[in-house]
Amino acid sequence: MQENKQHLLENLLNDTSFKNWVYKKNRNDIAFWNNWIANNAEYIDTIYAARDIVIGIRFNKSELSEDLINDKLDNVIQKINKNTESTIDNGATSKKKIKLIYATSVLLSGIILFFAANFFTATSEVIHKTGFGEIIDLKLPDGTTVVLNGNSELKYNKDNSRDVVLNGEAYFKVKSKPSTKAKFWVTTQDLKVEVFGTHFNVNTRNKKTDVLLDEGSISLLLENGKSTKMQPGEIVTYSKDNDTIVHNKVNSNIKYTHWIDGTYIFNNVTLLEVMQYIENAYGIASEFKNPNTKNIVITGGIPNENLTICIMALEKASGVTIQKQNNKLLIIEN
Amino acid sequence: MLDNKEHILWSLFLEGDKNAFSAIFKMYYSSLYNYGIKICGNTHLVEDVLQSFFINLFENRKRIGEVSNVKGYIFISYRRALFAYLKKESIFTEIKNDIHNRSNFEISPEEIHINQDFSSAQKETISKILNTLAPREREVIYLKYYSELETNEISNIMDISYQSVLNTLQKAFTKLRKEVENAVLTAILKK
Repeated sequence: MQENKQHLLENLLNDTSFKNWVYKKNRNDIAFWNNWIANNAEYIDTIYAARDIVIGIRFNKSELSEDLINDKLDNVIQKINKNTESTIDNGATSKKKIKLIYATSVLLSGIILFFAANFFTATSEVIHKTGFGEIIDLKLPDGTTVVLNGNSELKYNKDNSRDVVLNGEAYFKVKSKPSTKAKFWVTTQDLKVEVFGTHFNVNTRNKKTDVLLDEGSISLLLENGKSTKMQPGEIVTYSKDNDTIVHNKVNSNIKYTHWIDGTYIFNNVTLLEVMQYIENAYGIASEFKNPNTKNIVITGGIPNENLTICIMALEKASGVTIQKQNNKLLIIEN
Repeated sequence: MLDNKEHILWSLFLEGDKNAFSAIFKMYYSSLYNYGIKICGNTHLVEDVLQSFFINLFENRKRIGEVSNVKGYIFISYRRALFAYLKKESIFTEIKNDIHNRSNFEISPEEIHINQDFSSAQKETISKILNTLAPREREVIYLKYYSELETNEISNIMDISYQSVLNTLQKAFTKLRKEVENAVLTAILKK
């Protein structure tokens, strides 16, 4: 009898229909278990014990603040990076040591040159660079905020942060300077964006520049000397290589890609293009096992904070399976 | 689904992906911290152990074998690391034979969740009854309902049989049932 009860308890705890009875969720399950109890009165203790264990005790949970956890994480990552460096040093052979001395002298002369150049020109360039999959928030000296996507570079002169050069992709929230009417400039290989104070995205990948304007107004000075004005909600694509300009209002019928606040927004974009975008941002290439999946059209927001979650959302949006294999994403038809 | 996400993160982490490692860190830091405080009550010590635990986890990732349950694995190895540290620091010298007598796992009334229409006096009754259990029994309750671990994970973490986890749970609720009026019990039991 005792053994039976133990066995029953174990079974009840793993039984979804029993859990439904406990939480009064499913009418059939409620009826079934009420009936079962009426016919097995000798097991009533076990039933109640199982019910208590399922329901359990509610605790007030104390969560540490996100800032504190991020601080602790930074410490751990720093220590890990330091440890990797020191293992490399320890493993250095004499040949490597010679190289190291050489590298040091090159570095030293580099530093001297740098200071010399600095001394004569009295200017310096500030460069922000992100690795694959890394997204950083920047605040420029003039108050403009920039979110720099993965594998991107933003350069400007220390004395004038309102004239920047972008390679890659970035979202700008330009601080307007009404008193001086000072403009803000973004230069890419294809064009220059002239700004007064506004929110917009610039993407220079794949030998063209896309500019998507969210707020305010901007002018584009194209590499071919022409210029065009943009209204909020418009997207312009220009490539100096074939000197073509596409100027569209963003709406649900056209194709565009956008990213803001941790989400990529794809509208009518094929999976092939989406995977190209992923490769640009995270540095991981894709291989299509079934070529027909390349043409699946995706519309919707994909969280981009982390590649794994991004991939899971993409799988859901496109109905394919994406597997990570040897630093490649393998796309398989379901 | 959540389980699946954990496993993808885990395999990325094993390949040395620091983003995945960071995600795992953020996912578990709070609950490991709270669990550590319950075991030894010393915040600095717990923070130190957590730091070296995560560094070791990353650096020794190639030696980690097949893991069927990520959360369970993290709790087991963290608990081991914490107890190894406590033993080394001989904080427990005076009661070496039974480390668990020293670990408090006291449950305070504030930690018990009761709907607003119940007075704090009843939370005190519940916590008092829970605190009459042996520390190891309280640890079972804590891992089950605070850390939300499955019964078989708890048995792995505490290195006791599945059956004794169930017995402990049963014992705890029998005690609660007996000593608290039914009304209060219904209130603290979820829903």
